[in-house]
Amino acid sequence: MWEKIKKGIEVRTGLGELIKKKQHEYQVPKDTNIFYTLGIIALVAYMIQAVTGYFLLIYYIPHSDHAFRSIQDIMNTVPFGWLIRMVHIVVSSLMVIIILLHLISLFIMGSYKKPRELTWLAGGCLLLVVLMFCLSGYLLPWSQRSYWATTIATNMPTAFPVIGDFIAKGLRGGDYISGITLTRFFAIHVAFLPPLFLLLIGLHVFLVTRIGLSTPAFSKSAEDEKPWTEYRPVSHTNSYPFYPHFVLKEAFMITAFLAVTFFLISFMPTLFIPEAANTPADPFKTPAHIKPEWYFLAPYQMLKLIPNKFFGITLQLILVVILLLWPFFDTKKERNILKRPVLLSVFLLLLAMWIILTVWGRIS
Amino acid sequence: MKRRSFLSLSLAILGSTALATLVYPLVRFLAPPEAKTLADKLSIKKDDILPGEAKKIQFGNTPAIVINIYGKGYIALSQVCTHLGCLVEYDKEKKQLVCPCHAGVFNLEGHVVSGPPPKPLPTLPLKVEGEHIIIG
Repeated sequence: MWEKIKKGIEVRTGLGELIKKKQHEYQVPKDTNIFYTLGIIALVAYMIQAVTGYFLLIYYIPHSDHAFRSIQDIMNTVPFGWLIRMVHIVVSSLMVIIILLHLISLFIMGSYKKPRELTWLAGGCLLLVVLMFCLSGYLLPWSQRSYWATTIATNMPTAFPVIGDFIAKGLRGGDYISGITLTRFFAIHVAFLPPLFLLLIGLHVFLVTRIGLSTPAFSKSAEDEKPWTEYRPVSHTNSYPFYPHFVLKEAFMITAFLAVTFFLISFMPTLFIPEAANTPADPFKTPAHIKPEWYFLAPYQMLKLIPNKFFGITLQLILVVILLLWPFFDTKKERNILKRPVLLSVFLLLLAMWIILTVWGRIS
Repeated sequence: MKRRSFLSLSLAILGSTALATLVYPLVRFLAPPEAKTLADKLSIKKDDILPGEAKKIQFGNTPAIVINIYGKGYIALSQVCTHLGCLVEYDKEKKQLVCPCHAGVFNLEGHVVSGPPPKPLPTLPLKVEGEHIIIG
């Protein structure tokens, strides 16, 4: 019976044949490592976030009088509500880690170079959208941390004269964070950001499949022998089909990712939920030693150290723009970072600074 | 101008105008609603704030603090840090106002002592009438 249905669909759509052909046609360099699977893990993480998000919507009430209570109910009253929310919280942080690792590994492997500049740019924009997801998401529980982290974030545009106040007020829907801000952020989180993310991921995946996976910079490659003056898909000299070889590698890494997720939920449930996240928002009391999420600790510490607000925020914006447009600045042909000591030193210095600022932000 | 270019230009102008007419209602839609001011004057008893003590109030929509400074009398300041909007807390021992978010420090007159705040805390108008402090 099942076979009959399958055959019926196949006769009418040719879908199976298409998938089979594409998966076998698409060649992957044999020396790809596990870092090449980080992209698919980020996509799986997004799908998990979407599904858990839909379930949370059933019980969550986006109103300042009820939001905190509804989150408490999800955690304590709704059967397995805690599981859905914990997966949503843990995967949001892991997703940031995965995308950061993806960017760092691509940087080290020189995979952003011509003709993959746009792939890098789309990936960088995806990181920004994920951070916007995180920021808009953590106002929703209407806790002390939600309230004050959003106060800081929505005040950042005020560093810029003329338009700064207008943007800040537009984001908040007033002078201060209120119920209006909550509904705005809720709309951004569940309605505006998902299509933007899907658009960017669509562009990213399109470019990856159209051009082909890059060969690691440390291996022999026929990729750069001919100059990229016109479009051509990459032809790898030493490759295997995407299916089953690379798919198996991806399946292994996705399983590892899920294992880490459930390990954190089971054994370190409070890792991403500090005390201030369990206290209802109080617009008249900023909690002492309030800290942002770990991925915002470095910019937080930078703002503490730089005495000028305009300079502090502008510097961070400039760094983000450089990161996004880096492939257009670095036009040298050499992809192996080990053969470029200056670039390697600057990269390691920036990475070390980011780690130091993050740790400093946490303990200060 | 060729007929084809004229048509393309006209189409571009008409298209931009149609888009521009959508921008205004969208901006108005997103602009924050007018805030309702809760009070333009606020009265508190002098006895409520002993010398060296402070009392938090809400003036209009602004969280504020009234401090009774030794030998100088009362002062009312906005509690909203001028850096990124967190609320400063009164530190009685150090006679300072400290922001818990980015460690901005103000003196009891609202002037910046250290840290990243770009300007002093706004002072609210205050006068003492008999046994009451009138803010606003």
